[in-house]
Amino acid sequence: MIPGRLTKELARICGRDAVIVDRDRLLVYESDALTAYRHRPGAVVLPRTTEEVRRTVQAVVRHGLPIVPRGAGTGLSGGAVALNGAVVIGTARMNRILAIDAPNRRAVLQPGVINAELSAAAAVYGLYYAPDPSSQTACTIGGNVAENSGGPHCLKYGVTSRYVTGLTVVLADGSVVKAGGQGREAPGYDLAGLFLGSEGCFGIATEIEVGLLPVPEGVRTLLGIFDRIEDAGRAVSDIISAGLLPAAMEIIDGPTIRAVEDSVFAAGYPTDAEAALVIEFDGLEAGLDHEAERATHFCLRAGAREVRSARDEEERLALWKGRKKAFGAMGRIAPDLLVQDATVPRTTLPAILKGISEIGKRYNLIVANVFHAGDGNLHPNILFDRRDRDELERVEHASKEIMQLCVDAGGTITGEHGVGLDKKHHMPLIYGPDELDTMWGIRRVFDPGAVMNPGKVLPEETEPLHANPGQDPASGELVGAPAPA
Amino acid sequence: MNNQALTPESTAETREIVLAARAAGSRLLPAGRRTWPGAGGWTRDGGTTVSTSRLDAVHHYEPADLTLTAGAGIGLDRLARIVGPNRQWLPFDAPGSSAGTLGAAVASGTSGPLRNRYGATRDNVLGLEVVTGDGRSLRIGGRVVKNVAGYDLVRLFTGSRGSLGIITRVSVRLFPIPEADETLLFAGGPSEAVSMARTVCTSEVPVAAAELVEGEEVGADRAMVLAVRLLGGPREVEESRRRIRAALGTEPWRALDDGGSRRFHAARIGWEEGASLVARLAALPDRIDAAVAAARACATRANGAQGSAAITADVLQGLVRVRAALPDFDPTRLAETLATARREMEALGGSLTLSHAPPQVGARVGWTGSRRETAALTDRIKALFDPDSVLAPRCP
Repeated sequence: MIPGRLTKELARICGRDAVIVDRDRLLVYESDALTAYRHRPGAVVLPRTTEEVRRTVQAVVRHGLPIVPRGAGTGLSGGAVALNGAVVIGTARMNRILAIDAPNRRAVLQPGVINAELSAAAAVYGLYYAPDPSSQTACTIGGNVAENSGGPHCLKYGVTSRYVTGLTVVLADGSVVKAGGQGREAPGYDLAGLFLGSEGCFGIATEIEVGLLPVPEGVRTLLGIFDRIEDAGRAVSDIISAGLLPAAMEIIDGPTIRAVEDSVFAAGYPTDAEAALVIEFDGLEAGLDHEAERATHFCLRAGAREVRSARDEEERLALWKGRKKAFGAMGRIAPDLLVQDATVPRTTLPAILKGISEIGKRYNLIVANVFHAGDGNLHPNILFDRRDRDELERVEHASKEIMQLCVDAGGTITGEHGVGLDKKHHMPLIYGPDELDTMWGIRRVFDPGAVMNPGKVLPEETEPLHANPGQDPASGELVGAPAPA
Repeated sequence: MNNQALTPESTAETREIVLAARAAGSRLLPAGRRTWPGAGGWTRDGGTTVSTSRLDAVHHYEPADLTLTAGAGIGLDRLARIVGPNRQWLPFDAPGSSAGTLGAAVASGTSGPLRNRYGATRDNVLGLEVVTGDGRSLRIGGRVVKNVAGYDLVRLFTGSRGSLGIITRVSVRLFPIPEADETLLFAGGPSEAVSMARTVCTSEVPVAAAELVEGEEVGADRAMVLAVRLLGGPREVEESRRRIRAALGTEPWRALDDGGSRRFHAARIGWEEGASLVARLAALPDRIDAAVAAARACATRANGAQGSAAITADVLQGLVRVRAALPDFDPTRLAETLATARREMEALGGSLTLSHAPPQVGARVGWTGSRRETAALTDRIKALFDPDSVLAPRCP
């Protein structure tokens, strides 16, 4: 709960209906899509404009409370969880596309615009917004900016940071900063680039300028079925080495195929296969068939049992179905799901997959893999039931070992989901004390009082000087996890 | 600037140099091969140059991963020779970059016309090792193509021009060399060429890069030439060529394939060489006509009696550059010309920045427009990495 005086002040700034303090209504905001972390916010405020955000930030900071920016809450790292009774500033009402400038292929929008809605609005001009996180029908562009989101098609097109060209940001001190902007060169530090992926710790983006691309004229989608996952991995390497650049290359493994085929999302993948590889090419119609033929050849040469190809949009969606519905299908097998997000050098994929499978066996856990094979971004999913204390503990151990395995192979702990609350304790696996120290320093450049989304990204124990010694260190433990001895 | 440069052979040695300079209260100027001293006005009097030219080892190159890690001092020319046999390349084509080092390309952060197809320099830098102005050695980012672990310090250092740290090691993303590389040259009068450029900008054809160049530079008898570069599979490029010709309603004056196309663009990278004035005029691509007009006015005024000034435009990015040799010039008049052009560009929502100018002109006009609103953040960032101002001055 927040002080009544603050509630009234926020209501004056944003309107009464824009301030949520009712306990039941706050329940919706207690977690993001990674539901293992739950903390109820002190309040939720839903401003409509940059000015309302600015005044809201000032009011909350005056009352000494922390702030958590939040988009649609589809994040997978606990980044939007409000620790210590923080006030959530939600962007749900900042959902206007301010301009689509078709001749210059750019759009200016508020942060609460849904990713897929931007592409839908741009489609009138034959344009679209390229980054396509799997949650694109629900997630917001503001959230994508905070996480620097990827998606299946970033193999060819790149992640969010390539498309965001300008930002208007409200900082913790209530100042409004504009960084970047198309059509002008702004020499100096790339503040927009630095802000991207800062997970709400630097400020709140209230206006976003993005680049759009022409909708590709043609698409070819293939589905390779493999008896061995290493063969699918080799096909991916061969395709890349041959100089082909598919828009997407996605693998789902045997356990995932069986989960999908057992569910209402059954996509017609053979249940005795150990890997399905979805490959998509897009661009001008001319040349697409040739590229698809070459990719088919590489799949067969690597040992594919069969390669299906979509003849129309309906068939294309069917080939993608198993990949897109994988997470939903796994929800049926076990009540809880831990999704990891490591990225490894592509050539290490076969060894890493073997290692993950061994770790799963050792801890007697089901690990199902869905991943962006083209760029080495893995999503091992550990299926479990958190009510089983013993299993929960095994999940914790297995998850750490998988992370270490990926880091040792030259990889990183998160490719697109962000660090948030979930992976902050893994940061020392990839960064030393000097790097972490510098990140604390950069955080303070934007937010000297540690007001914006505290307790995320950086582990408290690495903070050079504890700014708020009286405050509870935010818990990075899974809910229900046994207390450390 | 001293002619003597320090050339450390390791990160540890680089760190010792920085720590010693900090302790002595002296100044350092980070550099690569020093092919472009003073660019952007980020130089100053005094200070010893630290060149990373001897940090040129390749530390990691796995062709199938399409990534490479090397010392910052590796020449982009040498890098191209190393990855070329695997039909791979680093599509960095910023002005002057072919003679420079990988570290300098990252530190300058400038991109060339290929940005349209491959992203900006900053989009393809995966990780860095840097020695900061307070003598810390940091490894930031990584060597995988997707990485969101922690704040993006790699982006901060890309384009920081030696003001925060000395880049000692760089990991980059490579790309397959496309099977077909073709450049179509369309010649026309000044307004005709600009109108062709605008057609190309809004066409659905996947153009890799498009540049306007002075006709006489390429031996054409028309005022301007629009160079449209097509990269991709042979069939895609063939189809693109057909559609570009149809969209422009004319035949190209010349068509360059593979070797010819590559040589043409390699030569363009050196376009600024020898110029004592280089101004960059930016606007949204659909205002390219106004930017070209403003640039032409600058070129004409800068020319004086000698007449070697020229312009060129990256039409897909809306960027026009002016180059002049300035054998004899009136600083006051030149500064006025540039200031007028900047006002015109800013009125369009664009900008004018100087990457090269006689110091008295640069000081009078200002190397960049005003950036007051981000000055406080910029100062704090500079102080975090280089509290005693050992390195190059902060970016404006």
